[in-house]
Amino acid sequence: MLKTLFAIVWQSALLWLVFRLGTFLVQALHVALPGNVAGMLLMFLLLLTGIVKPAHIEVAGGFLLKHFAFFFIPISVGLMAFGPLVRQSGAALLTILVVAAAVGVLVTGLAVQALNGRSPR
Amino acid sequence: MKLVVFAACLVLTLGCYLATRALFLRFRQPLLNPVFLSTLMIIAVLQATGGTLADYQPAKETMTFLLGPATVALALPLYNNRRVLKNQALPVLAGVLCGSLATIAAVLWAGRLAGFARSILISLGPKSVTVPIAVEISRLSGGEPALTAAFVVATGMIGSILGPVLLTAVRVKDPVARGLALGTVSHGQGTAVALIEGETAGAMGGVAMALAAVFTALIAPYYLPLLLP
Repeated sequence: MLKTLFAIVWQSALLWLVFRLGTFLVQALHVALPGNVAGMLLMFLLLLTGIVKPAHIEVAGGFLLKHFAFFFIPISVGLMAFGPLVRQSGAALLTILVVAAAVGVLVTGLAVQALNGRSPR
Repeated sequence: MKLVVFAACLVLTLGCYLATRALFLRFRQPLLNPVFLSTLMIIAVLQATGGTLADYQPAKETMTFLLGPATVALALPLYNNRRVLKNQALPVLAGVLCGSLATIAAVLWAGRLAGFARSILISLGPKSVTVPIAVEISRLSGGEPALTAAFVVATGMIGSILGPVLLTAVRVKDPVARGLALGTVSHGQGTAVALIEGETAGAMGGVAMALAAVFTALIAPYYLPLLLP
């Protein structure tokens, strides 16, 4: 139990370090990417090259990914600030966003499945 | 007093999350999406107690502190699925690009039909991309960044509730296709749902979220003007 807690703390620190490095790199190189996505790609590279082993991050990584949805709750509460706009044209905006999401999900899902259909798995 | 509010916001958010997560895992109904239900509950509590977003802000900062490291951790399922990525590079790239182009065109077309002003249309354009990038695209294109952030969050919720149902309805069962579709349209929130479906779907959600962000940032300066009035 204590060992797991210890692993979560220091592995989180490693993940945080790569996140900061990603943030620093996109700022320094003026790349149009958010720092966290750059950090993810960087970590992927570190894993591929074997510099970081999956065992170095999998306790904290597994925990954070299991609760990935949690982080979007405090962010979504920010929708509260748009009460007036929602009252005025919320229904229209909701319809538009639903239509666009449906189109995007269907196009992506069907395209990938169609292109994958040719390759036996 | 501030500390009490801070602690109350933390406890409220954690409590809502744990309760709605248990509910979701028990019934597996997309409408019981934990982010959707928890957000509704927290906003209701804030309004009932006369609380404001400013009261909630310090707790939000603390709770989202680990979102960066968590996104970096997506490299793990990505690494475990590196073979899928290598063998299916074309479907992955083509699928996410088509999906991004389609959802942007759809939102602008529907927005024009509804008669929204140009600045709102521009703000709608990057709504499928993760917040930090979407805000930047919106600002550079002449949109309203705060509005874009709201559209991004709303799309995240809509896609993660509607996406799995739609994909099942048109018989998209391949976890690669499902993960990519959820990540392309609903960024991190879609990825969170894909992660619950399975490791492969989750990994593909992360891939799609990254690719959609890159593609949208690159094409927006040329693509948005084509679709705007």
